[in-house]
Amino acid sequence: MAKYTIKRLLYSAIILFFVMFLIYVLMYNMPGGFLETKARELASRPGANKSYSEWLADLNAQYGMDKGIVLGYFTWLKSAVTGNWGDSWAWTLPVTQEFHNTVWYSFILSLISFIFELLIAIPLGISAARKQYSFTDYFTTVVAMVCISMPTFFLATLLKYVFAVKLGWFDISGMQGRDYGELSRFGQILDIAKHFVLPSITLIIISIGGLMRYTRTNMLEVLNSDYIRTARAKGVPEKEVINKHAFRNTLIPLVTMLGGSLPGLFSGALITETLFSIRGIGYASYTSMTQADIPFTMFYLAFLSILTLLGNLISDLLYGAVDPRVRLAD
Amino acid sequence: MSISKYDLNEALKKQKAEQIANGETNLNENGEKKLDDVTRVKVLSPGRQVFKRFIRNRLAVFGSVTLIILFLFSFVGPLFYAYGQKQIFRKYSSERVNYALAKENTAYNGYEVDGSVELERTVRTAMNSNIKSMIVLGEDVRIVFGKEGDPYLIRKLGNEVYTVGTAETEEVCTIGESVTSLGIFNPIKGQMNFKGNEVDGLEAALKKAVTKKTTTDQEVEFEGVLYSVKKKSKIEWEVTAVMDGLNYAGDEKDAAFEDAANEAVEAGAADFTVGDAEYAVSYGKTSATVYEILSDTPAQVYSRFIVDAYETGKKLSDEFKAGALYNAYTTGKFEADGESFTVKPDGEEALIVYDADGKDYAEFTTFAVRRYSGEDSMAFDLKQAVAETIVEMQAEGKKSGKMNYQLPMQDSETGVVARDDEGNVLYNDTEIEITQRDTGEFVLNCDQVIYIIDRFASPSKDHILGTDGDGFDVLSRIMYGGRVSLMVGFVVIFLETFLGIIMGGLAGYYGGWVDMVIMRLVDIFYCLPSMPIMIILGAMMDAMRLGTYVRLFIMMAALGIMGWAGVARLVRGQILSLREQEFMIAAESTGIKVKDRIFHHLIPNVMPQLIVTATMGIGGVIIMESTLSFLGLGVKHPLATWGTIINSVSSSSAMAHYAFIWIPVGLLICFTVIAFNFVGDGLRDAYDPKAKR
Repeated sequence: MAKYTIKRLLYSAIILFFVMFLIYVLMYNMPGGFLETKARELASRPGANKSYSEWLADLNAQYGMDKGIVLGYFTWLKSAVTGNWGDSWAWTLPVTQEFHNTVWYSFILSLISFIFELLIAIPLGISAARKQYSFTDYFTTVVAMVCISMPTFFLATLLKYVFAVKLGWFDISGMQGRDYGELSRFGQILDIAKHFVLPSITLIIISIGGLMRYTRTNMLEVLNSDYIRTARAKGVPEKEVINKHAFRNTLIPLVTMLGGSLPGLFSGALITETLFSIRGIGYASYTSMTQADIPFTMFYLAFLSILTLLGNLISDLLYGAVDPRVRLAD
Repeated sequence: MSISKYDLNEALKKQKAEQIANGETNLNENGEKKLDDVTRVKVLSPGRQVFKRFIRNRLAVFGSVTLIILFLFSFVGPLFYAYGQKQIFRKYSSERVNYALAKENTAYNGYEVDGSVELERTVRTAMNSNIKSMIVLGEDVRIVFGKEGDPYLIRKLGNEVYTVGTAETEEVCTIGESVTSLGIFNPIKGQMNFKGNEVDGLEAALKKAVTKKTTTDQEVEFEGVLYSVKKKSKIEWEVTAVMDGLNYAGDEKDAAFEDAANEAVEAGAADFTVGDAEYAVSYGKTSATVYEILSDTPAQVYSRFIVDAYETGKKLSDEFKAGALYNAYTTGKFEADGESFTVKPDGEEALIVYDADGKDYAEFTTFAVRRYSGEDSMAFDLKQAVAETIVEMQAEGKKSGKMNYQLPMQDSETGVVARDDEGNVLYNDTEIEITQRDTGEFVLNCDQVIYIIDRFASPSKDHILGTDGDGFDVLSRIMYGGRVSLMVGFVVIFLETFLGIIMGGLAGYYGGWVDMVIMRLVDIFYCLPSMPIMIILGAMMDAMRLGTYVRLFIMMAALGIMGWAGVARLVRGQILSLREQEFMIAAESTGIKVKDRIFHHLIPNVMPQLIVTATMGIGGVIIMESTLSFLGLGVKHPLATWGTIINSVSSSSAMAHYAFIWIPVGLLICFTVIAFNFVGDGLRDAYDPKAKR
């Protein structure tokens, strides 16, 4: 197991190296980027003693962008590995600082959504599987399909329209109310919580469908297996069959999948956060990406890729841990 | 018989018929047809079996019907729909506007009389203040000097009409106390250079007072006059004296002149004549200078009068204005633009111009009514009506008033007067409100009927889903947008599948290092975060200002390249298991070419799975595309896609007020994606009923 893990980690590092190189090439070639804007601004300042191209060359040298793609990439890689991610251009803060400022909001938002997702999707999926081809089953299938098919931006806009504009229960966007500063500590927490309601609902609805279907499929498979038939034949009560025999076995793929999605809780919800102006990592990275803020974007995308690879690894390891039948090849 | 035409049902029936003919029976003991009788059991081909299973799935059928309707709606709908995707709709609307401004004209405007005479700019800019001070002082003539000291002459022609021109003048004398420079004294040589007449004996007196060693300014009294000597340099000392009374600058004149000059200066008159000669007086602080006007040439005529032609909107040339003003108080006749006119003063406040036939042509007044933009396009009647209303208002001491008038409708975009189909100007009765501002001018406000772009029109009979922010019909945008959105979905999925089949097929079939390289590539592409990359790409294309269609193609290509990894993995996995099956060994042993083995034997067996993944993938691509377009990073306006339509009302206020635009589009996206997913699900169940969902 340890050997397998080490092998996978090394392998992930190689993939990460190439993924980041591709992204670096993309960012490097971005025209009208931050440095060009900055150079133009500096050159047009009163009393500017350098022309636009001189400033650009200066800035490129300052930010290490004058070394060419390959050398530039290695420079970036070297400082990144030593933990020096540079300063964000768009946020004028050290990248890690901005990350620290934002990631916890994203994490809380994702965690709330994740818990509700589990509480809603798994029971629904199981009850749908228990009564295959019943009304519940069709209903669940259709609901799951609608949730999967809902574009995030449309759902977010719809929720805003109904709950913020028409009913006026929540603010349209933002993370704090107007009177945030005057509230007590507890009131401030409640205020932020209130602003997190609509984004959470959006995330829950978007993600619920997939998990529901996954649960249903796996439960169905388990229910059709021989040992369930045996249990029933031996006269085990239906309740026990479902809860003890079937559900526990359904948990194997579920835990594997959910374990794999745990790192994703940190990755932030790009669209949802942007639409609701939640100052999470998704929103921060969206702003950085549109402004060609190379240090922060590179950091965020590296972070995202690491989370993806980590998720895959956890998922595979859990599969081996949960299911005794599976042995991971060294 | 070729295999493809072989019909199993027919063959079985034939066989049965032969059996019956041979004396076998197809009935059981009870006289009923046997259960396995060919006329009872129909053998279905695999394709028909799939189809039968598919249409038994209600959700799949619902999805298929929805898709068919959507395709008809998007691809056939526009052919039968009256409006295009970029057709802008307009409407008549009423808007409170500042229609016009009425005010007493206070500025004097110059019109060129003689272009050959050059006027200094400083003189022109000073004209308004000069004329105003001439009015206050009651002067008829004023002599002014340019920067270079050249004299110019302003003359009053009549009420509110002045000319300015170059003049030839000669300084005659000064009257009153004045400091005159007599000349330069050189103490080293002891010589005095007089500018004008020499003063006898002054040189000797200066020699005494100012020597080589003198450093400070000196005052020398000589024959009762105080001379002051100022050092300019070692050898140049300027000698000035304060003179009183009448001092000639050049030749002396007779006593008649002196009397007239003294009288004029005492009275503060600006001009006087002696005999034929005309003199102008320019007043300084303590003295007055008299100039003789030898000749003068008027260059421009200045006036506060503003011309209003009787004909609406007629533009009168500067030549006309100059001619009319210049001749108004003299000959009364002038020619302009090849026509001859007569002009007469009408009381104090107006000039009236008649054309060659003696008809009223235009009127000069100091009261100007102009469109708020400053343009002179209002009817003379309206101007007069406004003037009358204002006079009434002032008589009653009110600051605001109202009047009614027929105003032309206007197109807000072009500013052109709206016309009906026959080209007649459209009028409508308008109530004009006149308000006096604190600055004294009068503003005319009215609800003007204008022809504007019909933005954000609510759903109506003409526009079932209303119009959007650009005045486009939303329903037609949705139809055309559907074309692009569906097309993007299909193209991307096709590209993805194509790349995936090739890469996965190669990897799966060859194995070894090919498999190794391709699968590592797959891993890398699997790990690439696609949404952030599409956002970066969108921002990049924004910066490069690419065209709408170029963007569309690049976006499709990028989405396709990002998505192939999944397909490749699927194809490879399938091929790895299929490769070991007997039919492939058979294919290999019959010596079929590698290419044919992959593409004719392996791939067709992967097809069912691929079709299912592709169908369900289209939904995902449509969501991706609309999300990007919604963020403004995908397809751009004015090309319609479902995402751009929602993007146009993405701001909070637009979202709140124009729900009729984005809700239908959003629902349509949902329906499309749901339909693709249902069909994909149905296909999977139909292809392999036992497979995991």
